[in-house]
Amino acid sequence: MELLDCYLKAVKRYLPRRQRDDIIAELSVELRSQIEDKQVELGRGLTDVEQMAIFKKQGDPMSVAMRYRRTGRSLSVGWELIGPELFPAYLLLLSCNLVIAVIVIAVFLMLAHTPFTLQAFLIPMFMEVVIVTLVFILLNFLRGFLGRKLSHSWMWPPAELAHLLPLPRWYSATGFIASGLLTLWWLLIPHFPRLVLGSAAPEVKLAPAWHQYYVPVLLALAIGTGQRAVNVIRPDWNWLLPMARFVADCGGAVVMFFFRTHALVLPANPSRAQTEQLAQAVNGRLIWGLFGPWLWLYLGITGLVYGWYCLPYLRRLVRRHHNTVHEAGEVNGIVWKRES
Amino acid sequence: MATGTASSEVFENLRLELRRGCLIVAVLAQLRIEQYGYTLRKALADDGLEIDEGTLYPLLRRLETQGLLASQWREEEKRNKRFYRLSPAGEQILGQLLDEWQRINTSLDKILQEVQG
Repeated sequence: MELLDCYLKAVKRYLPRRQRDDIIAELSVELRSQIEDKQVELGRGLTDVEQMAIFKKQGDPMSVAMRYRRTGRSLSVGWELIGPELFPAYLLLLSCNLVIAVIVIAVFLMLAHTPFTLQAFLIPMFMEVVIVTLVFILLNFLRGFLGRKLSHSWMWPPAELAHLLPLPRWYSATGFIASGLLTLWWLLIPHFPRLVLGSAAPEVKLAPAWHQYYVPVLLALAIGTGQRAVNVIRPDWNWLLPMARFVADCGGAVVMFFFRTHALVLPANPSRAQTEQLAQAVNGRLIWGLFGPWLWLYLGITGLVYGWYCLPYLRRLVRRHHNTVHEAGEVNGIVWKRES
Repeated sequence: MATGTASSEVFENLRLELRRGCLIVAVLAQLRIEQYGYTLRKALADDGLEIDEGTLYPLLRRLETQGLLASQWREEEKRNKRFYRLSPAGEQILGQLLDEWQRINTSLDKILQEVQG
């Protein structure tokens, strides 16, 4: 598929259904005209990077589409929390997340042979609404500070074009801090069990299952942290993000699935009945905290998204084994090529 | 430094606000002659009014919904293009807007001369 078609397809996804085809036809004329003008100016066909520069000027597909959807609605409680510019994207993403949430929770409940209850759905969905809303409030707040820089970042690039977009450094850096803190927390658990056991630490101890699963979980966390660190230094290694996260999420999901079948906490002094009860309570709390629906929801959503983003890289890899150069030439001593 | 950034941001916001209304008048005026989006954008840019695609196309749709523009898909140079032109209602509104523009201009000139004088 041509890059232009990929871009238009991505814009189309977010457009109002009734006007979709009409808007895309018009946008297509505009972009084709721009590409042709540039070709005439350069006297040759455009490379993928040059075409991408035209799309970048246009904006990320979601923002482009949202300009046609702008309704003036916003989330305001006295003061503006999510402005009219971000509100349509907020509604769209929230709806998508909630649909995925329902599917993931239902699959999880079926796999775990757990009865379907309203509570099992409502709590994670409520958390989902809170998290997505907070993220958008933060984005709205940051817009004031980062202004144009933020508006020029492609927040959700289409998978087919992601290989042409370097990862924003601020994105990798903030992810590195968050993921680094999580990894550090995990690293410190053997030395400070209180980080997991809380105030019950003197009465209970970590079960042997921790020894078995500690390193695999650490590995999954380290992959995520390492990927972010590498992308701070090399933003152009954009393939690393979906690949590393997909591996970490899938590996993490398998490890956590088996980890949850074990007791996590044992009484430090088994002869005392009270300690036994405390261990059971801590165990229940930890299983809910570490392996609750939120974990499967997170791993399910991110696994699906990163898996989807891996596909174009894999397709390109396979294509590379065949004849890749579609068009090539030389203008003023500069050799250029365009891959199919 | 921070004050400089803040003032340039304030200027940018005010400039955008000032341009917004002017662009509508410019688009309506340009569309007295039928054109499609790309040539309209180029014509505006040639006259010193750069407008990005993301602003122009939603604006054209809005003006059409308001009945100020009429559009038609037609083939030109082997490609289907959407041509826009000013509707009779648009012509009337454009006339009124230009009158208003002249009044504002005259008032502003007067205010500025008073301040300078």
